[in-house]
Amino acid sequence: MNALHPRIRIVWILRSVIGALVLGGAAAGIAVFRSLSLLVPAGLTALFVILGVGHAIMRYRNWRYVVGDDALYLERGVLTQVRTEVPLVRVQHVDSRRSAFERLVGLASTVVYTAGSRGADVTIPGLTPAAASELRQRLKGLAIEADGEDAV
Amino acid sequence: MKLAPLSVPYRALQKAGRLAVTLVFLGSVGTGVGFGGALVAAGVGGAIAVALGYEFAYYRRYRYTFTDDTFDIESGVLNRREREIPYGRIQNVDISRNVVQRLLGLSAIDIETAGGGSTEAAIRYVTAEAATTIQDEIRRRKRGGDQQRADTAATAETANDTEQREQPNSERQAAGDPTEELLFEISPSELALAGVLSFDPRVPGLLFAVFTGSLPFVSPVVPEPEGIATIGVDPTVVWFAVGVVLLAGLVVLSWVVGAISAIVNYWGFRLTRSETELRYERGLLQRYSGTIPFEKIQTLTITDNPLKRQAGYATLAVETAGYAPGQANDRGSEAAVPIADRDRIDELAAEIDGCEPGTFDQPPKRIRRRYLARYLIALVGVTGLLYAASVSVTELTALPWSLPLVGVFLAPIAAHYKWLHRGYRLAADHFVTRNGVWNRETKRVAYHRLQTVIDSRTVFQRRWRVATVVGDTAGSLSLLGNDAAAVDIEIDDAVSLRTTLRERLQASLAARRRQRTTVSAATSTTDEPTAAADESAESDADSRPDDDHHR
Repeated sequence: MNALHPRIRIVWILRSVIGALVLGGAAAGIAVFRSLSLLVPAGLTALFVILGVGHAIMRYRNWRYVVGDDALYLERGVLTQVRTEVPLVRVQHVDSRRSAFERLVGLASTVVYTAGSRGADVTIPGLTPAAASELRQRLKGLAIEADGEDAV
Repeated sequence: MKLAPLSVPYRALQKAGRLAVTLVFLGSVGTGVGFGGALVAAGVGGAIAVALGYEFAYYRRYRYTFTDDTFDIESGVLNRREREIPYGRIQNVDISRNVVQRLLGLSAIDIETAGGGSTEAAIRYVTAEAATTIQDEIRRRKRGGDQQRADTAATAETANDTEQREQPNSERQAAGDPTEELLFEISPSELALAGVLSFDPRVPGLLFAVFTGSLPFVSPVVPEPEGIATIGVDPTVVWFAVGVVLLAGLVVLSWVVGAISAIVNYWGFRLTRSETELRYERGLLQRYSGTIPFEKIQTLTITDNPLKRQAGYATLAVETAGYAPGQANDRGSEAAVPIADRDRIDELAAEIDGCEPGTFDQPPKRIRRRYLARYLIALVGVTGLLYAASVSVTELTALPWSLPLVGVFLAPIAAHYKWLHRGYRLAADHFVTRNGVWNRETKRVAYHRLQTVIDSRTVFQRRWRVATVVGDTAGSLSLLGNDAAAVDIEIDDAVSLRTTLRERLQASLAARRRQRTTVSAATSTTDEPTAAADESAESDADSRPDDDHHR
């Protein structure tokens, strides 16, 4: 079982902090407009930041993945814990991508697509760019080997 | 080959019609600004002329051809488009004809492939004969693309053929495959039942939307509490009566709408099968017919509810990976048997996917307490909201806020049935799940159709030490989140179920691959019908419904 790169926590924390700031900003706007105390929006922002940081840490702790002989197995989730088995035969294509935040901390994600309806795309975040493209290559190779003709 | 010539005026009028409506509207607004009626008439005439010209060019440019391994379409007046669709990738071919199109002898064809939410090729209006020809030709070519295999299967096929000829009673389609066999035809009583048992749940929502919009117009009709108080009747009683009448009206209306739409949809429903596919026909005003190759079938769903169970009936739906045509405005999957005798449905389903019956593993009994708690919390929530509304809004003081509490008596029953209906089963070749309180849905997915296996546990599920295992498929109805799911099973069971599903998927894929290689190896020695070839043809015939022919 592999864990994600620890730096992914920075990405997640940054995201939740920005979300909290936007929400807090909106709340502050309303408070100013209706001339209420700014304490409430400040408290809300702080609460969201704390929740976000806690969530990011828990999320990192719960994230595990492993590429097996015939399937990719993922374990993740804080409130709802999800375990997904993606048989390699079912892999349609594989992407590696880097969002702005991820570039900031030098990480990348690999996205695996299947023809399914619900788990149609499975993202593995928090990989180093080299690891992401290596994983992509490896999955591609395994998927071809596993004979992708039964993809649907 | 080209479109039907009559498609030119039909398409032109269709297009010009829309434009004309806009123009007439503009004209009626514009008369005040100095637009003349003549100008509008000229505009409409011009629009029709332009549309006719355009559609004629479209007709001239449109060409579809059957090549050896693709179906090609060239089209476009200003933007040219050439499209090639490999036969092997085609999921279903659907023909539909509405009343006007039937009068003109036109048919619309939709060709679906997996992937992508939209129809791959929409051929707008060929003649009815051409439509059937296209459908048959695509089927033939799909099979032809696998000629070697067809050779081996030939022995089985001819045997099947003669068997068919010995039964002159068995109905066949004149234009279709001679081996076509009638699987199901709806009887008038079943059609009537389908209507009676159909309740359109969309109607209440629609009415709600309409009525909340028109509330100002309705409210004068509803007696004012003060007005009633003078008559000497308790306003609560009046509110209650009005509510009951409205609710009853809503139910009746939903039911009538559901009944009419079910009858119109399933008029003359028949399902036939040929060697490689299912073909359905249905519809009163708009006639639909389509084909579903066995190898593309993803899921079978059998649905019933207490009413249907009491009468011994059930519903069957067949899903493919293609986008179910007309799903947005229609009632789910097209190849659905709306209602039929439970035994007939079971037989038909077994005929299609070859899944054997069996008993279900149920979630632990303790989970009923969770369902009961959930229902009670919901009831308390609704009651609380109503109470809050009746306290805070003066007009609503008479609101019978305690009414939902009646549900407290129903909740244990619902909770019990929710548990009772839930279950899963690992059949020889299928993963079968069952869910639903009122509408009980049994889903059957062949192992080799599974895409991903997802095991999830919410916070609450973890508290009860249970988990949900979902077998994701590439089905179309599944877009609504209706995958085969074993909900609330013990965590240990969930883990082993997940592993089992993965292993069986691999095993069945490996078995199918072996079968393919034996068959192609056997066909390479075409001259002599060896024992090996016979054997593989036989095993081929056994697993025919879900066999993969596209390679």
